[in-house]
Amino acid sequence: MELLRPSSSEEATSALGNGSRALAGGTELVPLMRDGLVRADTLVYIRDVVPSGIDGTRIGAGTTLAELEVDPQIPQALREACTQAASPQLRSMGTIGGNLLQATRCWYWRLGFDCWLHGGEKCFARDGAHREHAMVGNEQCASAHPSDVAAALLALGATVRTTRREFALAELYRLPTDDDRNVTTLAPDELILELDVPTPDASIYLKAMDRRKWSFPIVGVAAARFDSETRIALAGVAPIPWTLDSPAALEDATPLPGTAYKVDIARTLVRRALEGVAAPSR
Amino acid sequence: MARLIRTEKEVEGRYEEVWIVVDEDALDQWPAGSLTTVGRRVPRVDGLARVRGEAPFTADLQLPGMLHTAVLRSPYARARVTSIDLEPARSAPGVRAVIGPADLNQLTDEPGYVGHAVAAVAADTFGQAQGAVERIAVKWEVLEPLLDPDEAVRQESFVSDVAKYERGDFERGLAEADAVVEAEYRTQVVVHNSLETHQAVCHWDDGGITIYISTQYIWGIRASMADHLGLPPDKVRVICHAMGGGFGAKNGPGDYTPIAAELAKRTARPVRCALTRREENVAAGNRNATIQRLTAAATSDGTLVALGGDFVNAVGFSGWSATTEGPMKMLYACDNVRTTQYPAKLNLPPMAPFRAPGFVEGTFALECLLDELAEKLGIDPLELRRRNYADSDRTEDRPFSSKNLAECYRRAEPHWAKRDEVRARSEGPWKHGIGLASQIWYGGGGPPSYAWIRVGSDGRAQVVTAMQDIGTGTRTAMAQIAAEELGIPLDHVQVSLGDSARGPFASISAGSSTVPSMGPAVRSAAADAKRQIIEIAAQRFHLEDGVLDLRNGEIVSAGGGSWPLTEITGLLESGQILGQGARGPNPAGMQVLTFGVQVAEIAVDVETGEVRVDKIVAIHDVGRVINALGAESQVEGGIIQGIGHTLSEERIDDPSTGSILTRTLDSYRMPTIADVPEIVTDLVDIPDEHLTNLGSKGLGEPPIIPVAAAIANAIRDATGADIRSLPITREEMLRALREADAREKERRGAPAAV
Repeated sequence: MELLRPSSSEEATSALGNGSRALAGGTELVPLMRDGLVRADTLVYIRDVVPSGIDGTRIGAGTTLAELEVDPQIPQALREACTQAASPQLRSMGTIGGNLLQATRCWYWRLGFDCWLHGGEKCFARDGAHREHAMVGNEQCASAHPSDVAAALLALGATVRTTRREFALAELYRLPTDDDRNVTTLAPDELILELDVPTPDASIYLKAMDRRKWSFPIVGVAAARFDSETRIALAGVAPIPWTLDSPAALEDATPLPGTAYKVDIARTLVRRALEGVAAPSR
Repeated sequence: MARLIRTEKEVEGRYEEVWIVVDEDALDQWPAGSLTTVGRRVPRVDGLARVRGEAPFTADLQLPGMLHTAVLRSPYARARVTSIDLEPARSAPGVRAVIGPADLNQLTDEPGYVGHAVAAVAADTFGQAQGAVERIAVKWEVLEPLLDPDEAVRQESFVSDVAKYERGDFERGLAEADAVVEAEYRTQVVVHNSLETHQAVCHWDDGGITIYISTQYIWGIRASMADHLGLPPDKVRVICHAMGGGFGAKNGPGDYTPIAAELAKRTARPVRCALTRREENVAAGNRNATIQRLTAAATSDGTLVALGGDFVNAVGFSGWSATTEGPMKMLYACDNVRTTQYPAKLNLPPMAPFRAPGFVEGTFALECLLDELAEKLGIDPLELRRRNYADSDRTEDRPFSSKNLAECYRRAEPHWAKRDEVRARSEGPWKHGIGLASQIWYGGGGPPSYAWIRVGSDGRAQVVTAMQDIGTGTRTAMAQIAAEELGIPLDHVQVSLGDSARGPFASISAGSSTVPSMGPAVRSAAADAKRQIIEIAAQRFHLEDGVLDLRNGEIVSAGGGSWPLTEITGLLESGQILGQGARGPNPAGMQVLTFGVQVAEIAVDVETGEVRVDKIVAIHDVGRVINALGAESQVEGGIIQGIGHTLSEERIDDPSTGSILTRTLDSYRMPTIADVPEIVTDLVDIPDEHLTNLGSKGLGEPPIIPVAAAIANAIRDATGADIRSLPITREEMLRALREADAREKERRGAPAAV
């Protein structure tokens, strides 16, 4: 295996594609390679060429979650999403760009079952064990997206700048289809460089998990209020980070038998999040 | 004089009759309470070596030329290997040997669970071995697995006989009852997940084999591997100096030891076979799931008149069926008890004993049901337990060697009395409550076990016995016992253990037996050395030996004289005083058991199902405490492991294929430090006057036993919800709350009872 250390983002993107993969913090890529879920002959180390650090509303994609969680410039929802993610060790290695591109924790997918998301015929979780899985957007694939940070950024209305384009974060994700099982719109040779995160009047991230630390979300709820408008986004409930148009949209959820409880928890956390960001009444 | 006796030997609730030779246990017990070192808070003597990374674990061992093993494990819960081609693996880079089902009994061509070992490769590196395993070509005939325990009972698929028990007349008891409660409880599969995975390094030399292994039973490995290899036992040397946890899963050689031995033989090289974390979560044993359908009945004064239950142990493909019904039979003085235990054989990975197997699961169900009964009767739960206090063992009709559960209850009172105060902390969705649960378990240890001791001319002593310290602080406790008896400072005692070629036979470290089995032997060896020193001193000082004693490193006489110990031992130059000791018998005709009660304070967010444990008070009666600090650590470890069992840990299997889905520590969720509550340890510390020269019982297992029930009962106190299954996930908590809500609505809406 080859490790490249490019000196510019152009050099990096030209080395990507053709089965090579970008390596930043390595907290996701390395385990996936060890498990044989990602095979790559070439790794492109991008830490030196992707911006990192915080400048006003702009966050370099190479910034670690550990740096974000302690920076007072960062909106509360994002800081809380970082603090409640993973463990201190993982947060000091993992970058925000990499966090947005995490794969699902679905055990069938992680164990390499020939499942629909891997390109196979069927979703094993739908009829199998799925208490950690999706409650919406789960018709084809019941996997749940694990990123706390993505939900916070969706609620905050973040935009993404890559080596090719600039767009709303929501456009980074797509529900996989029969023709294309990818959950992001990122091209193989495209790198996330920077995020722009508007400063809300109030924001919050609430997370239900199976233990008090180092656990992926059962349900994560982010809410951000800009003046009188509040946006809500959910983690751990769909194959991609999920924007909730309104609290009432939860009544249209399509839970599996084993994920119905997630809808109950989401209702409560959405209510609490909205209370948490509500404008002070005079 | 050596005495031949026929006695019962108990490990983890399983009895066998054995012949043993014991020495008379002539020593009187020490007076109760803290002594010079025994009973004190003593830091681990090997603590520094452990935190500095110097303690030699099997996982650290690197022998010259050592090969590494990867094992091909069945991906199917039930299958037949119709053909297997090992050749592609043999020609892979770095490969030194490949073995398959035809080469070793532990490798199968009819796997009965996911993870069953089929073939193994030894190569220069672990990566090469793994790569070669992937090249083994297997054709499988996949068969329908049996995964449902109730279905196994219907098909009479059992690993052993169905165990029936009845005393008194259950039906008559039920008929006399004023209140009856019935419920079905389920407990999950949990995995030991020791820090150090199961592993062994085998090395053939001079017609014999040396086995370095992470084990709880050096002598058991020696015996079983000698038998397996057809060697005289003294040709099998077993070494374990430090180990990273066992919890019951490391009592035997597993598949990895015979695999390493066979590959080492074929390659004439040392071979390591170490399970990966993923294999550890699949094929290293587990606490099996249970289904318990229980009935409890009492008269209006709270007297239990009937206890009964069907207990299904989902044992897995092999292993043994633990006494899940044990607490129901033993904990209370009920005249009418009827239990049936079904040992279901399934196409799931085999059980291995896990810290009080059976009693952890059985206590959860029984003690939850008892609280439901208490509410129905309108009797305080602690009072109900007192009214049914067992004064003797009703299963064997024997007296207890000692029982101080009443004292445990007395000490629990101030914590229990805080119920109203704790409930009053409830605010918004967070409801607070207190619950308690009792504990009964074995832990008496037994013979045979031996220790030697040698005292040098410098007045320092070394204890030599081929036991193991499984991480529980054994080295420290044994050093304390020897120092106490010899009257020398603790740091003048060294303990040499961990090697079957150095020292005599020693007990298994399972069933909470290490201190009660080994401690008396060590004391007896120290007493033997002390007697010799006093005899020599009496001759030297022209005194009667009856007036001499050893204290604080000095020989003291009744007349007030004192001489440094080295004045006598120093005479010997290179000579040594050698003492030897043996574990005496357990008290004949008595039941040796441990007892306790735990009080849990919890809070529940009734809207999200989050359960938070705020505090656990653990009060246990385990006889004399040797190391108060080490004992506290044991209690804390047991409670933390119990919290994992209660709230977050669960091995999840695919319901149709029996594949294990939780193979890593991010999906199999053990508690982190953030999940650990305030833990208060209160040990009764009264020596069992009938048990050995120490009066000490074991403490490894008791603390985990009542945790789940105490938490579930506290949840009931806080919310009125009845927990029925473990772990208490968000969905189980929300389900129980919904059910309690519906019951409450029905009660309010229903017409008044006539």
